[in-house]
Amino acid sequence: MSHEHLENEETIPFFPDQFMREFRVVIGIVVIAVIIGVLGMINPVGLEDPADPFNTPAHVKPEWYFLGLYQLLKFVPKTTGVLIPIVGVVILALWPFLDRKKETSRKPMKVRALVVAIGMIILIALTIWGGVS
Amino acid sequence: MRKQLGRLPIHGSLQKVFLFSFILTTILLASLTFHVLANQSPPQNQLSASTSAQTPSLTSVEYLLKNSLQPQRSISATLPPPKQDPCLHCHITGENKNLWTPLARWAIFGTMGLIFAFGMYRTGSVILNRKTWKPLTNRTVEWVDERYEISEPLTKVLRKPVPKYALRWFYCLGGITAFLFVVQGVTGIMLAFYYKPTPEAAYASIQFIETQVRFGAAIRAIHHWAANGMIIMCTAHMLRVFIMGAYKNPREMNWVSGVLLLVLTLAFGFTGYLLPWDQRAFWATTVGSEIAGSIPIIGNLALVFLRVGWNVTGETLSRFYALHVIIIPILTVTFMFSHFLMVRRQGVMRPL
Repeated sequence: MSHEHLENEETIPFFPDQFMREFRVVIGIVVIAVIIGVLGMINPVGLEDPADPFNTPAHVKPEWYFLGLYQLLKFVPKTTGVLIPIVGVVILALWPFLDRKKETSRKPMKVRALVVAIGMIILIALTIWGGVS
Repeated sequence: MRKQLGRLPIHGSLQKVFLFSFILTTILLASLTFHVLANQSPPQNQLSASTSAQTPSLTSVEYLLKNSLQPQRSISATLPPPKQDPCLHCHITGENKNLWTPLARWAIFGTMGLIFAFGMYRTGSVILNRKTWKPLTNRTVEWVDERYEISEPLTKVLRKPVPKYALRWFYCLGGITAFLFVVQGVTGIMLAFYYKPTPEAAYASIQFIETQVRFGAAIRAIHHWAANGMIIMCTAHMLRVFIMGAYKNPREMNWVSGVLLLVLTLAFGFTGYLLPWDQRAFWATTVGSEIAGSIPIIGNLALVFLRVGWNVTGETLSRFYALHVIIIPILTVTFMFSHFLMVRRQGVMRPL
């Protein structure tokens, strides 16, 4: 396992070297959280009007991470629109069993990077579109 | 080997001073935070006002000092102290009656006193025994090791080699996600102290948190933005692993547990979003569960399970709260634990 293939590698010990690197990252996140907290006291997150089951507001939108899916559902029939993310997640989860080829060069990595770039652009575009419409 | 284990990863006394004062300041500030900003002074009724006007305003300490200076009299022979404002038991006359002042005082001066006492003990020990002082960290590790023999497994865990190719910045994304989960847990617990999960009280309890609780608005803002940050970091980590092909044999199950964790993170967001019970939350949940209802075959089951009925009601809020605070956290911790164990066992993949 890991202890075997690392005999020929250049390594650093977890403690104290890697631990201190991770500790500095943690401190960085804590600093960012404190800054968010201070800004939150100046400009709180706030609430909209209280929930009213009998009064649907004009523009109902889900949270930003579901906006892309929401926008997609406006063009695709409901059943298909619901099945796309479910099938997508299942394919994503089982991907290592679909792509088993042993890699010898860096070309597959570049192909995957391109696929990710295109996918992310589409997803972000759909999300922004869902946000403004 | 044992001596090295007990060494702090900080060299230099000045840095140690900074570290300890940083920890001390954090503890003090933490003790000041997150308390309801209600009017702290007790109601001044007629009785207490008249008694405090008549009796001398001494603290019990001053009273004892004054009486103990008299010779041939023990403390037990003195009269009991006169009736006084009970606040003076902990506060000094005339000062602002903040609830945390005595605690802060005990903490600061108590810690200074303890450090001073320890310093005296250490100096005495060095002078009398004429030996270098063995640092406290070394002593603690040796004490534990004598009893539990943890030196070997601890060394194995702490000295685990990390390959140098795993030191680039994009290898931190998973750890950042995990730490953001911890941040969400801590801020979530603090919010849960004051949030009320009923349709009648939820909205008002969040307003209470934002206006009446000390740093409540800050805690809520951190919880809100760290939630978004956690989703972004989780996705970024997944994309990094995907691009680098680190999901391949033998790391398939690690990838599967990772995708599951991503779904759980989105579920966290979905369930947490309803909790403020404002218009946006209510109707976004209605639309969201409507979409779940259009899944073929199990659609109606999913809709009724989520909504606890056919409409979004107070029952829905209770169910989402239980999901958000108990069920999804337990599942997330379980899968994170297995995810970390697998990475630890198999190591980071060597890039081509």
